[in-house]
Amino acid sequence: MRAGLPASPYCTIGPFFPGAFVSGCEDLTSFQGKQARGQHILLTGRVFEEGMRPILNAIVEIWQPDANGIFGHPLDPRFEAADPGFFGWGRARTDADGRYSFRTVLPGPVLQGPVLQGGAGAERCPHINVMLLAIGLTRRLVTTVFFAGSADVRDPVLDCVADSEARARMLAQRDNSRNGSGDLPVYRYDIVTRGASETPFFLD
Amino acid sequence: MDASTPAKPDASEMAKPDASEIEYSPYQENTQLARYIEDYPRSFRRNPSQPFIERPLTLSELTGPLALEQRLPLTSHDLAHLTPNAPRAIGQYIEVAGRVMDEDGAPLAGCLIEIWQANSAGKYIHEMDRHEAPVDPNFTGLGRFVTDAGGRYKFRTIKPGAYPVTESAWWWRPPHIHFSIFGPSWMNRFITQIFFPGEPLNETDLLLNAVRDLEARHRLIFETTPTVVAAVNFLAFQRDFVLRGKHRTPELE
Repeated sequence: MRAGLPASPYCTIGPFFPGAFVSGCEDLTSFQGKQARGQHILLTGRVFEEGMRPILNAIVEIWQPDANGIFGHPLDPRFEAADPGFFGWGRARTDADGRYSFRTVLPGPVLQGPVLQGGAGAERCPHINVMLLAIGLTRRLVTTVFFAGSADVRDPVLDCVADSEARARMLAQRDNSRNGSGDLPVYRYDIVTRGASETPFFLD
Repeated sequence: MDASTPAKPDASEMAKPDASEIEYSPYQENTQLARYIEDYPRSFRRNPSQPFIERPLTLSELTGPLALEQRLPLTSHDLAHLTPNAPRAIGQYIEVAGRVMDEDGAPLAGCLIEIWQANSAGKYIHEMDRHEAPVDPNFTGLGRFVTDAGGRYKFRTIKPGAYPVTESAWWWRPPHIHFSIFGPSWMNRFITQIFFPGEPLNETDLLLNAVRDLEARHRLIFETTPTVVAAVNFLAFQRDFVLRGKHRTPELE
């Protein structure tokens, strides 16, 4: 039985989230005047609703570890070694094509350490946490993008997705056909909120 | 202004040694808006058809961005004045205050709060706002603050106006203020809208009424405070927020 105060109700972000709150948040490659360590990448993709219609004006937020897989958060046992040039959080808005883009770093594998019961010592594959907010969504949609070469890789969160095609949709695809700004390696990751090629979303 | 200036938290201050003892359960549906709302534009097309997948919570989900004010510049606590000596924005001057806490009622210090709202004519400063209401040159409707050691926030603004949803034939949004709150982990990143008490449009709003439980619905509405009639130059409203997360309790033998 779960006692305690009931959590406040979520509500939609609506159409008018201020551009000033997004501007500059798409670039995670530096923090407080320091360049982030590791491989800088362009993580970009399109967000679609049913019928593969692009969603304009969706807000995408990400949270990720640094290039060594360390989170800028004291719960991470390796927190002291976290990259001072990397903040780990970003926010972007989709355009009329449904496209968002982040300049960030390729995340490293996460060593969870002893803080988590059940998951002690387990390693997580390089990944980025993603949440999506838009008109029509009363709550955020939560998913994770992985950077593994194949959907066969083991990860305690990815392993919750049983369907192999759905797993494959959670992998960012290296896109060699185009260069990002400043010739950054491009990783493409589309999000489909509803439809045949729907992105797997987690219970939140 | 006299609103208390929150102390700037640093990461070590927020590093509760027992942070790993906070547990997060899925939102209880009866305390939340329905995901699918008939007549709400795009509600059907954007909500997933597949069931949500359960996953373990690992370090990745239990951490989250802290001390966001290092990344996102804070604003003044008075949105009704663009600068201290600027003319006050047009509209009813109000003060909004409250606390951010977890499910145990423990204050959440150092939470970044972002707010955005329409002006008193129901107009946002936003390229998507096509409602033909006037812009107030003395109002942008944006605010960003950090909760103090007691989890408290407080700001002054003008009461927003109602506005029509231009894709709907009838729907007018009642006055409301949007809140975006960064809790201490990715699990309690939180976004909502808070409404004003006694507004006739509250009765027909598709979003507010999508919370079926009446008690829960009232958590989306500001409360008036005793000072609502005691203060001379502003009306006062209050709204506390409970972010998901509570301390683990030892299992009973």
